[in-house]
Amino acid sequence: MREIKTVTILGANGAMGSGSAGVIAAFGGAKVHMLARDVEKAKQGIEAAVASVKTDTIRARMIPGSYDADLEKAVAESDWVFELVAESYEVKEPINTRIAKARRPGTIVSTVSSGLSIGRLAKAYDEDGQKHYYGTHFFNPPYKMILCELVTHSGNDKKVTQALGEYLDKVLGRAVVYTNDTPAFAGNRIGFQLMNEVAHFAEKYADKGGIALLDEIMSGYTGRAMGPLATADFVGLDVHKAIVDNIYDNTKDEAHETFKLPGYFQKLIDAGKLGMKSGGGLTKVVKHADGKREKFVYNIKTGEYDPYPKFDIPFIKEARQKIKDSDYKGAMDVVKKASGFEADIARYFISRYISYSLSLVGEVVDTKENTDGAMGFGFNWVPASAFVDFLGGPKETIKLMEASKIPVPKLLKDAKEGKKFYELGDKLDARSLFKG
Amino acid sequence: MSEKVFVLGGEQTDFQRNWTKEGKTFMSMMREVLDDALEKVGISYDEIKRLNKENRVAVFVGNFDAEQYANQGHLGAFLTEVNPALYGVPGARYEAACASGSVALDAAITHIRAEDYDLAIVLGVEVMKTVSSSVGGDFLGTAAYYDKEAKGVQFPFPKLFGKLADVILERYELKEERFMDALAEISRINYANAKRNPKAQTRTWFMNKEHAMARGGDNNMAVGGRLCITDCSQVTDGAAVTILASKDYTKEYAKKTGRKVDDIPRVKGWGHRVAPITFEAKKQESVGDKYILPWTRQTVKDAYKRADLDVKNIDVFETHDCFTSSEYAAISAFGISEPGKEHIAIEEGTIDFGGKKPINPSGGLIGVGHPVGASGVRMMLDLYKQVTNTAGDYQVKGAKNGLMLNIGGSATTNFVFILGK
Repeated sequence: MREIKTVTILGANGAMGSGSAGVIAAFGGAKVHMLARDVEKAKQGIEAAVASVKTDTIRARMIPGSYDADLEKAVAESDWVFELVAESYEVKEPINTRIAKARRPGTIVSTVSSGLSIGRLAKAYDEDGQKHYYGTHFFNPPYKMILCELVTHSGNDKKVTQALGEYLDKVLGRAVVYTNDTPAFAGNRIGFQLMNEVAHFAEKYADKGGIALLDEIMSGYTGRAMGPLATADFVGLDVHKAIVDNIYDNTKDEAHETFKLPGYFQKLIDAGKLGMKSGGGLTKVVKHADGKREKFVYNIKTGEYDPYPKFDIPFIKEARQKIKDSDYKGAMDVVKKASGFEADIARYFISRYISYSLSLVGEVVDTKENTDGAMGFGFNWVPASAFVDFLGGPKETIKLMEASKIPVPKLLKDAKEGKKFYELGDKLDARSLFKG
Repeated sequence: MSEKVFVLGGEQTDFQRNWTKEGKTFMSMMREVLDDALEKVGISYDEIKRLNKENRVAVFVGNFDAEQYANQGHLGAFLTEVNPALYGVPGARYEAACASGSVALDAAITHIRAEDYDLAIVLGVEVMKTVSSSVGGDFLGTAAYYDKEAKGVQFPFPKLFGKLADVILERYELKEERFMDALAEISRINYANAKRNPKAQTRTWFMNKEHAMARGGDNNMAVGGRLCITDCSQVTDGAAVTILASKDYTKEYAKKTGRKVDDIPRVKGWGHRVAPITFEAKKQESVGDKYILPWTRQTVKDAYKRADLDVKNIDVFETHDCFTSSEYAAISAFGISEPGKEHIAIEEGTIDFGGKKPINPSGGLIGVGHPVGASGVRMMLDLYKQVTNTAGDYQVKGAKNGLMLNIGGSATTNFVFILGK
């Protein structure tokens, strides 16, 4: 296993920087150079790191510093340089040039980018540097969300990749998913496909309940704790836009059109309504004088915020009760048999999610266990393969896809009937991701 | 009794899960764990129906406090909600605080020994995340003498086991630093072991010796005298099933599943003793005794005697480390060390995963989590895994005989079982 004793974190005061540093200093026991724009910010990052992993024992081995004064010295003595500065080539590339000059041969350098090309970023380095350059896409907050997408590019060495993967897994306790250098990698490509297409449907069905209705249809019984549009509101509409635009511009697959940003998202972004972080976006919560909180939802037609509605959709109620009783196949049977446009939408998106996840095997990842891990550990969504089992196996799933006019991936066509399709069961109990 | 009661296997839930957050209940938990256990063991609901027609099967539910945590009693009858195949099957709930799982096992073992039934399904269950930790702490206080030891006390059990730490320190005239270091090592070992167990509550949590030693402050608060958060097991939601069988049924089962009867472990010995309920009475009674918990030691001795085995024959232990001090006291109760010299066994690595007498390779209550009524059943399941060489990444090499100690209250109800081939 690779020995990593000293690490440099760039972007130490951000949520991802401090959270990742906490994990590395705690689980890895490493000395960590915490670099930010100035030392005061770096010190704040250290305190945030301590708070994130809840141990004072790491404080003494975290050294605050600034990019201007300390970068070269810190990098020169590090076994791993983990760069978590802002998500743009303009910010990352000049920093990479400095790291490249200061790094020793053999030092690993990685970025937390969730969408930029790792191959392009690696170009700042010499041959040894390119060999040791990776995307290490941690999820927020790193202590709780244990997924790490380990993104490789054509210049990597398999032995180094294996050693780094082992370190991330065995020492840092990450659920490592290996992905190729493709836009948004695995988790975000699948997750944001669903979120963005659901957003389009919200617009199409704006008269019938819009955003709130679609989140109701895609609620916990479909294998996620939070509705897709609530998730978009949580991560921020600006971040959502950056991710879907990048995928739209740089990929061409069967779901290509679904990555177009809906017009009302852009309208909200232009108005500074970015989501929960800015006090409102697709939804907003108003605190009244008596302390009571009231939730509102954006009306795509009128541009106003309406009180968040309650729905009474019989098949959803029935499916939820089945989930509550841990009868997962029973719940999926309800979804399969239900009638009405809401049920059609539910079946469409369940089919789309499974189909799209499995279709990326071969392009983005080598095995379906990687897409399953990305969604299970990174998004807390029931992985596609597990869904196939709950739906009654490949044949039943294919039937559902064909009825919803969704392409059937080869992996599913070739799957054996009567054998469990989900193979991560010992690591992740998919049942725990359904909410009743 | 070593040829009378066999263990066919079982399953546990992932103790990391929070069923309330998932919108599910103790009943959903029972359904999942029983379905999983039967699937794993290879017994169908049709088989249960068949056995039930001949009155050869019964269920035993271990649970401490569903009344308070879930507003539900009468759990023995609840398996009928899991599957109609269980209509008519004799079933009842058994309670002995944190030893509820063991008292259910004890009842099942007794009925099989008496040849009343051929198959016994033992299911331990507790849902605990339904309330805040302070409310839950008060509920747990009913496992002590509530009026005298828990009423109005925040987190009474850490305080009772903190007192045990005090008595150990004073009675054996230990150096405080060395003793606290030994307790921290117990914590380190349990967390490290839990990392190998895919069903453990703490498998993704950070813990090392340095942190366990750093007692005090916001990140490792004192909760009971000398004991801090890192010295405590933590409550969780969870359920476990073990399936026991008579020799006749085991023969049928072995034939059907292509196994040899000799490869199926049997319950070789048991012990059950009840100490005075208050900690103060325990302390007073033990003055002058080599052991601070003499009834715990006696329970172990009873089990050894019934099994005709001794500590030298035991390859793996699962103990009730509700707190580091309870595991510390168990080391001498097992006979691994002399009383007062437990710290030496710890320092020498004897109880570590790779040591001569590994304790809690599963992670124990500190690492796996402590859903009260499920813990005893989970321990038996872990012994089964160890002695059948099916514990995966936490397998102790070559384990043939295992011993479990499950206690209720402040070491009040003591249960020991020995399982082996």
